[in-house]
Amino acid sequence: MRLCVDRLSKAYNFLWALRDFSVELESGDLVALLGPNGAGKTTLLKLLVGLIAPTSGSIRFDGTSRLASLSRPRTGLLMPADHLYDNLTVRENLSFFLSLYGDRCDLQMIDSALQEVGLLERGAEFVGNLSSGMRCRASLAKWQLLQPDLLLLDEPYGVLDGSGIDLLEKFLRHQIENSGIVVMASHHVSRALRLCSRALILKQGRLTFNEVKRQPWPSFDRAFGEFLPQGER
Amino acid sequence: MNLLKQTSLVFWKDLLLELRRRDSLLTMFFFGTLLLFVFHFSFDLPPDKVAEMAPALLWLAFLFTGTLGLTQLFQVERENHCLEALLLSPLDRGALFLAKSCFNLFLMLLVELVVMPLFWILFNLHGWNLLPQLFLVTLLGTVGFCVLGTIMSAVTLRARARELLLPLVLFPLMIPVILATIRCMENIMSAGDLGAAASWLRLLLGFDVIFVTVGILIFDRVIEG
Repeated sequence: MRLCVDRLSKAYNFLWALRDFSVELESGDLVALLGPNGAGKTTLLKLLVGLIAPTSGSIRFDGTSRLASLSRPRTGLLMPADHLYDNLTVRENLSFFLSLYGDRCDLQMIDSALQEVGLLERGAEFVGNLSSGMRCRASLAKWQLLQPDLLLLDEPYGVLDGSGIDLLEKFLRHQIENSGIVVMASHHVSRALRLCSRALILKQGRLTFNEVKRQPWPSFDRAFGEFLPQGER
Repeated sequence: MNLLKQTSLVFWKDLLLELRRRDSLLTMFFFGTLLLFVFHFSFDLPPDKVAEMAPALLWLAFLFTGTLGLTQLFQVERENHCLEALLLSPLDRGALFLAKSCFNLFLMLLVELVVMPLFWILFNLHGWNLLPQLFLVTLLGTVGFCVLGTIMSAVTLRARARELLLPLVLFPLMIPVILATIRCMENIMSAGDLGAAASWLRLLLGFDVIFVTVGILIFDRVIEG
């Protein structure tokens, strides 16, 4: 799969949240999307999954517009603690979304995904009663079951504990081994850099850095240095 | 997955959530009943006058009660940004429109089933045998209200004062439905059948068919903003 983003821009009224963003990604790419608050990271993620329409520019999967529904790949957006119904149990949520995607709704599959993320015992609990970390694990189970071709993550590390982070990283590695594309917006730079194959830096809606990872990486250090806290520059 | 299967999936999810939360149904039920009591204590009318005013009073109650339900229609999807999750999925937007319309219709019909007989009791009206016919006309009017209401709730979904805005945009568009339903009900109550109001019934049917079709066709643009 090949994702081509060409001169993508998004304006909210008179404010440009993203301007002339272009990038080409291929199966197996895990991209760290970095930048300060308000740089346009979440806007970019929402544009890529089609939740908002661009002001200009195009997004193409394998040469076909994202809007052509027949060729539309399965896209996932993992927002910690979001996108699950509070008054449905964890199992009911997973079962609902599996059915919605037209997948076979197998309770054994759901239970095995819940076991994987350490939520098997809490499968019958309402999502509203879970902590944000547990909800993030439930979202993780959801996308493990749905297996998206393109997975986007918005600040996934914020609410997860150590074992949760291990689960997340294992899942992301599995995604790219299975020819998926992963784009992860995060402020946990060291974690994101350890996993990624490429880094993108956004500043005030513009792409200021786009390189494949290498070691050492002085150009990245220079580009990202200005966003670090004063003592760490 | 076909349209009907997706519609039923979202409808049952909404029903399950409503059974657990019981926000909309209870609020609508109590508000509808409360309005009837307000009407009862406000109007001191002779029985023949009440019969003349009954359709308009009933529809006032249904409109206000229904609007209350409509303001809550997308509330479950707003919490935890679940609407994004739905829009991200391959769910047909027409199915989402049908599911939300059917769900609101279901709630309104439950309320109407209680409110209409209660109105008859409170105002000491005769002609209980007319209730099935009146209910049939009310059903057609309610379908029109729910489909147009669902479209308008989606239009106002991202507005800041959506609860205030919804009736302002919905009520003017509802005039044909209200007019047609009230005329049909008046005829049934005075003459015992539709009689001269058959053309109003055709208008009501036409309105329902047109807005169900329009809703299925345009809901993707409406809901995706």
